[in-house]
Order: sequence, then structure tokens, then C-alpha cells
Amino acid sequence: MTSQTLSGKKIGGGTLLLLAAGFTIWAAAFVALYAMQSVGCAYGWQELEILSGVTLQRLQMSAILTIHLGAIALLVRLLHNHRDQFLLRAAYWAALAALGASIFNFAPIFVLSPCT
Amino acid sequence: MSLDRKPDPIRLHKELTAIWETPPGWARLSAVNHTTLGKRFIITAFVFFAIGGLLAMLIRVQIATSSTAFVSPELYGQFFTMHGTVMMFLFAIPMFEGFAMYLLPKILGARDLAFPRLSAYGFWCYLFGGSILIVALLLGAAPDSGWFMYTPLSSSTYSPGINNDIWLLGITFVEISALSAAIEIIVSILRLRAPGMSLERMPIMAWYLLITAMMMLFGFPPLILGSILLELERAFDLPFFDPTRGGDSLLWQHLFWLFGHPEVYIIFLPAAGAISMMIPTFARHELVGYTAIVVAVVAVAFLSFGLWVHHMFTVGIPHLALAFFSAASGLVAIPTGVQIFAWIATLAQGRRPRWDVPMLYLGGFLFIFVLGGLTGVMVAMVPFNWQAHDTHFVVAHLHYVLVGGFVFPMMAATYYWLPHFTGRVSDHKISIPAFWLIFGGFNLTFFLMHLTGLRGMPRRIDAYPAEAGWDWLNLISSIGGFVMAAGFALFVVDLVLQVRFGTAAPRNPWGARTAEWAMPTPPPAYAFASLPQVQDRADRLDPNSLGTDLAAGKGYLPFARNGWMETLGVDMATGKPGEVIVLPNRTYKPLISGVLTCAFVLCLLFKFYWASLLVLALVVGSLLGWASGMGSRRDCALLEAGRGLVLPPHWQTERPPSWWAMVLVCAADATLFASLLFGGLFLWLVAPAWPPPLVAQPSLTIALFAAMMVIGASLSGRLAVSALRQKRSAIVMLRLAGVAQAAGFATFLLMALQVPDPTAHAHLAVIFVVLIYAAIHAGIGVILALHGLWRWHGGYLSALRSLDLRIAQLWHYYAAVTAIISLLATFLFAFLASHAEGPRS
Repeated sequence: MTSQTLSGKKIGGGTLLLLAAGFTIWAAAFVALYAMQSVGCAYGWQELEILSGVTLQRLQMSAILTIHLGAIALLVRLLHNHRDQFLLRAAYWAALAALGASIFNFAPIFVLSPCT
Repeated sequence: MSLDRKPDPIRLHKELTAIWETPPGWARLSAVNHTTLGKRFIITAFVFFAIGGLLAMLIRVQIATSSTAFVSPELYGQFFTMHGTVMMFLFAIPMFEGFAMYLLPKILGARDLAFPRLSAYGFWCYLFGGSILIVALLLGAAPDSGWFMYTPLSSSTYSPGINNDIWLLGITFVEISALSAAIEIIVSILRLRAPGMSLERMPIMAWYLLITAMMMLFGFPPLILGSILLELERAFDLPFFDPTRGGDSLLWQHLFWLFGHPEVYIIFLPAAGAISMMIPTFARHELVGYTAIVVAVVAVAFLSFGLWVHHMFTVGIPHLALAFFSAASGLVAIPTGVQIFAWIATLAQGRRPRWDVPMLYLGGFLFIFVLGGLTGVMVAMVPFNWQAHDTHFVVAHLHYVLVGGFVFPMMAATYYWLPHFTGRVSDHKISIPAFWLIFGGFNLTFFLMHLTGLRGMPRRIDAYPAEAGWDWLNLISSIGGFVMAAGFALFVVDLVLQVRFGTAAPRNPWGARTAEWAMPTPPPAYAFASLPQVQDRADRLDPNSLGTDLAAGKGYLPFARNGWMETLGVDMATGKPGEVIVLPNRTYKPLISGVLTCAFVLCLLFKFYWASLLVLALVVGSLLGWASGMGSRRDCALLEAGRGLVLPPHWQTERPPSWWAMVLVCAADATLFASLLFGGLFLWLVAPAWPPPLVAQPSLTIALFAAMMVIGASLSGRLAVSALRQKRSAIVMLRLAGVAQAAGFATFLLMALQVPDPTAHAHLAVIFVVLIYAAIHAGIGVILALHGLWRWHGGYLSALRSLDLRIAQLWHYYAAVTAIISLLATFLFAFLASHAEGPRS
């Protein structure tokens, strides 16, 4: 797409995708956690204790969540200094909302029993 | 009109009308105009709403008391199934499509939508698909397994008749209409706006419709896939949902609700868009929190895809997964609340709000929808959900959400935009008693239904014992239902009176500040005599002066040229004009394609499978026939666009609307494909009766050959475009692409036929369908390659005019990628099914 210089930054059609970026990572986390929870339970990973009191199931789900939270946090950080344009500003707030949603949505992996 | 002549408003009006208008008589069937088709969608949807309402009355009669014996259980099953089906698929979605179709070009400052023929085709698919369902109802053969068609009840073992086939095929037919509308809405919003209307200047409703259409694009394919799989099970015994052969009824529930819950927001968000247009007008203050609302709508759109399992809380899913879906179900209330607070803030910030009929209906919306939202948070909580599941409490909740969130705003919108539709205003006061009857009747019916549910009354039952103590609640609910029906009857009477006897409306009777009021009412077929230059947010316009200027030809394209239906294409983000889009004129082709598609569906319904292949060929031929006469046989010079602007015609630009449409088609298709792969993995992981007794053993050699063919086809398609752009012949490469796709098609078909007895186990059925999917896509690649040759020989292709081949190239790429994934999935599924350390071993 053609683009236009606004306050020194290129704003193109692709910027529209940034608006959805934060929640796309949230969706990826959702799919990955729901799928891997099913896989882990099917293979009995909740019985395999890796660290003291931490099972393979909880460990792999925590890793998945951490990676996704890190990705959204990075996105928020990148967008933080580019909020002078509407699309980038909206993308920033959407990413921040996605970060909050992800924490609230997936926090239960740390406390609930994974397979019952 | 000559381009260098000073615009004469009257002559301009006559010349544009001659090009854009739909003639009377039988020629009405050739309509492609957005105003005409938008009205048709709205009226047809309202007729279906009346049918759905009538069914609701029959349901309420049956369960008014414990001793009513009004209809048989079989008929009652058809009534409640058809009530839900009609309201969800034939009323709510098409009503929103109709409003979008009618309003979008007008609020965006364009003359029409991006694909007028697709609008017409979508309408005929909707009308014919809906009619199939209604005729079935009249013949006593309507679907009867609930509007969500749960297996195994809807499987052929327990529902052997034609009833559920009608649902599966009829609804899929209607879904084609919805998907085509979604693509049309997205491309129109992103590419067909007034010059200068950057994304941040769009009227807020355009944001709502854009995001809703995106949701449809990704939300409907899982249901289409589910319907295809269930029909394949019913017709050909492929056991996707049969637990005795490796299938699982929960797969249906996942596929259905993956569509079904976003559907609720797909219905609500356009209504919220209409509310966001109306409230600033009546508050006399621009919308507060424009950016916050855009962010909130994005959040709702995504979150709504993460809560489908709250319809399945009782099926035995682990608590941790329940927590994910419960949390998402509660979370979605926050961005919804942001919108409601923005509306309240707009009212609070403005001068004294103007109280008129639309505001009365919006008051009804606010009261009912907020109550529905609160009970929504209740049923989002797992322990409460377990208690209330499948009771009338849920029926009450969903009606509060859907009637509050869609019907009331749509009635407000009807009163708000009726002067635009008709050019008349109402002198009658019937709208007020109509409101109170609907509002009072609704609460009487459904508030009490919460109590009936809490007292344990299950959904979908046609009778209950007197000892249950539900009689008086049900009787009052039924009386309330009839009061509500009387209110809707008055609403219809009021509309008829306004259309027939209302006094002429002044331009912009509400004092709105959006572009749709900058035109005469009722609107001319061409919408704007010339297109506006937008310099500020599009809800800060002065429609009165703007309308006068545009009618006087002071905007872009202030002329009629070559009998072309012209509008402007703009840059997606900035709104900078980039091309003159020449839209196709009125034609009977969409009607012919719609009739043939209907014939195809009927052939499947009555199991004339060989005949259906012939009809399918005719459907494809008729759709390809749309391209006949489109484009140009010679390279065009830049075209004048008015105000000193010169632009290329769309067929000589790099990424015109049709290119984006193909991108979106591939996105929807990819969602369907991903759902299919999810289904295969889900069954392997969760379904009973695994591992399968017989495992597919695909040949690696044949698979490699198939992969080479589809990769070769996509490379040939790419080289055909390169050859064309270098002013060389594309024939050789097009032929190669066609031959390679044909070889790919034959190879995938061969691989599918080599799968041993796909009816024996879901593992084999899934692999069979994945391979057939790849074969179909290669087959479409053959058709597109042949189409490219046809266009070449017709003289429509040149170095500047390579659009047809670039669209085909997109498809070749997509087909190659999905074919390779299909092959990998085939081997993966075979490996997982035969792996000794599987989850059940």
C-alpha cells in the first residue's frame, strides 16, 4: 500500500494489523495453552514432577504463558513511544488491554489442578 | 456529460440516474445497486422476523400451562428449532447486512459497495436458502434437533429424515451470503472511502462494521466446516461425530460454538455502531472516547472468540480449561462496559439531549441489554452455570442480550433512518404505545423466565407436570409474549403509515453530522452526484452545505462518463485517492448464479449427487461468466477524476478491491482448513474408540509428486504474470499452470481414493477429507488457469492489465501451501494413529 508521512512516521495499511497484534498474541496463547493442556493431560504430564512440587504439565504451561506475556510486553514497549498517531495509539492501548487480559485469563494455570 | 463542461446539477442528476438506476418491472431482478439491495435485505429479514415471531407465539401457547396439548412433540421440536434458526440466521445477520449495505457507501462518501454483483448474488442466496427452510416448515419437514443441531440427536441414526439435511444445506447456503457480505464490507470500508477520509476520520459505525465483518470472516468457516462434516456423516456415513467409530459429538459442539458465541457479538456490534451514530446526534455532542471505543470493539471481537466453551461447561472439561473460558466470559463485559460508558458520557457532555422516538427505543435497549449483560456475567461463572445450564434461565438471558442488544437498537435505527429511506417523517404517535407494549411485554415474558429457570424448568420441553409449580410463571410469560407481539404489530402499522402517509422530510431532519444526510432523501441510486473531500472526522460534517455542494458537482467525479458506474478507490490508511473504480452495471447474472446455486443445494438435498456435479459445473460457469465484458481490451490513459485529479482505472493498479477480496477469501478458507486440522487432532486426542483398527498408509512417492505439481503450478502462475509484465506471451506458463494443477488434482483424488474405507473410522475419514480438500483447491486452480487463457485470448490482458493473472496467482500460492500442509497432516495423522505411545495406550 502507499503510505503517507505523518509526523515523520510512515503510516500504511499494514499499521492496521498492529491494532490487532496484542490480541492476536493473546489468541495464540489461548490456543497454545488449551491445546497443550489437553495434550499434557492425555499423556499424564501432571504426574511427572520435574522440580520440587512442579509438574511437567505446569512447567510447560508456565513457559508458554511466559513467552506470550513477554511478546505482548515487548509490543507494548515498542508502541509506547509512538502514540502520536491514531492507529499507533489505538494499537498501544489494545496491546495493553491484551496484556491485562492475558494475565487475568491465564493466571489460573498457577493455582488450579490442570487435569481434573 | 462532457468532462470539461461546467456541471449542471439537473443534467448531472439525469445522466447519473440513467446509469445507476434499477429500471421498473422485471428488470428489477437485475438490480445490483446497494440502496435497492440494502432495502431488499432489510424487508426480507423483517419478513423472516415475523415468521420467527409467529413460531415463538406457537411455542408460548404450547407451554402456557402444564395441560396445554396444542401441538405434537414432533411439531414442537420443529417450531423451537426453526424459531432459533430463523431469528439467528435469517433475521439478525441479514438485517445487519441490509443496514450495512444501505448505509456504508453513504457514510463513507462512496457511490456504491466494492462488488455490487456479489451483493446481488448474496441476496439471492439468502432468499433462496431461507425459502428452502420455510417451505420445509410448511411441509412439516423442518429441522427439529434444535438450532444448534447437536449430534448425536442430529445424526442419521436418531434423525433419519430429510429435516436436518435441510438445516445443514440451507444454512450453509445462507452462510455463503454472509461470507460474501463480510468480504464486501471489509473491502468497501478499506478501499472505497471519500478522498481524505483516513482511518481515524472514519465514522465510528465504519469501525464497528469493519471489525464485525472480520469476525464473520473468521467465525463462520468453523460452522460451515461442521455442517459439511455432519452432512458427509449423514449422507456418506463418514463417522466424524460417531463415538463408536472414533468420532466425537463434542467436536460438533466445538465447531458450532466457535462460530456460535462470536455470533452473539456479530449481532450486537453493528447495533452498537448504529447506537454510536444516533446518540451523538441526539446528545448534540460528538461521540466521547472515539479511540477508546475502537480499542474496546477490537477487544470484544477477540475476547468473543475465547469464550465458546461457556456453552459447554457441563460436558466434563477439566477445571483449568473451564477457568480460561470463564475468565474470558467475564472479561468481555469490560470493553462492552467501555462502550456503554462512552454513550452515557456523550449524553452527559452534550447540551440538553433531544428526546425523540429513537431515543425512547435506545432507552429500552440500555435497560434490557444491561440486565442481559449482568445475567451474562452470572452464567459465565462455572458453579452458577452448572446450576442454570439448559434451563429457562439461559433462555431468558439470551433473549435479554439479543433482543436488548439488537432488536431495540434496530428499531431505534429504523425510526432514525426511516426519513432517509422514504423521504418522509412520521406524524403519528403510534411508535410510543408500540414501544411500551414491546418493552412491557418483553420484560413480562422474559424476566419471569429467569424465575422459571431458577425453579428448574429445562429448555426445549413441550410439556411439564402440574406438580412442578411452573404454571403461573409460564402463563404470565405467554401473556407477555402476546402483548409484545401486539407491540410489534403496531410498529409495523406505524412504519406502513409513515411510508404511505408521512409528510415530506426536510434534508437532515435530526441535525446529524454524518455524510449519509448530505444527499436528497430518498437517496438517488448514485448516492452522491460528486464525491466529497473529507478534511476532518466524518462525524463533524455539515451535511446541509456539503449536500448542496456535492449536488452542484463541486466534488470528485462530477460527471457521467462512458456509461460507467464510477467511484474512487483510496489508500487504506490515509484515504489518498489512488484509482477510479469502474463498477459492473446491473445484470441478471447474479440471479442466474443464485438460481443455479439453489439447484445445486436441492440436488444435494434430494441426493441427486451425479446431477449435482453437472449443476455445480453450471454454477462455476455462471460465476466465471461475470467476468465477461469486465475490464478493458486496451490500455487506458489516466482518467480525470475532478478537482484537477487524474487517476488510473482500477484494472491498471497493483492492488484493486478484487485483489483484496481474494486475500480475504483465502483467509476465510484458511480458517476452515485450520478448523479441519483441529478436528483431526481433537479426535486423536479426545475421542473414544482410538487407536483405529486400520491406519492410513499414504505413499511418499505419490505425495512428493503431488507436492511437485502444486508447487510447479504456483511457480508457473508467477512466471505467467512476469511474462505478461515483460510484454511477452503468458500462454505457455498459463498452460503449464493448468496442466500442473490438473495433475495435482488427479493425484490428490487418487490418494483420497486409496484411503481404505473412510467409513470405518474417523481417522480414515479425516484423512480422506483433507486430501479431497487439497484436490478441490487444485481443481479450482485448473479453472483459474483456463480463465486466464480465456482472458488472454479475449484481449483483456497486457503488461498494464495483469489483474486476472495476479488474482489467480494468489490462489495458486494458497493452494500450494495448503496442499503441502495437507500432505504433512496426512502423514502426521497416520503417524499419531499408529504410534505405540499414544495418549490412550
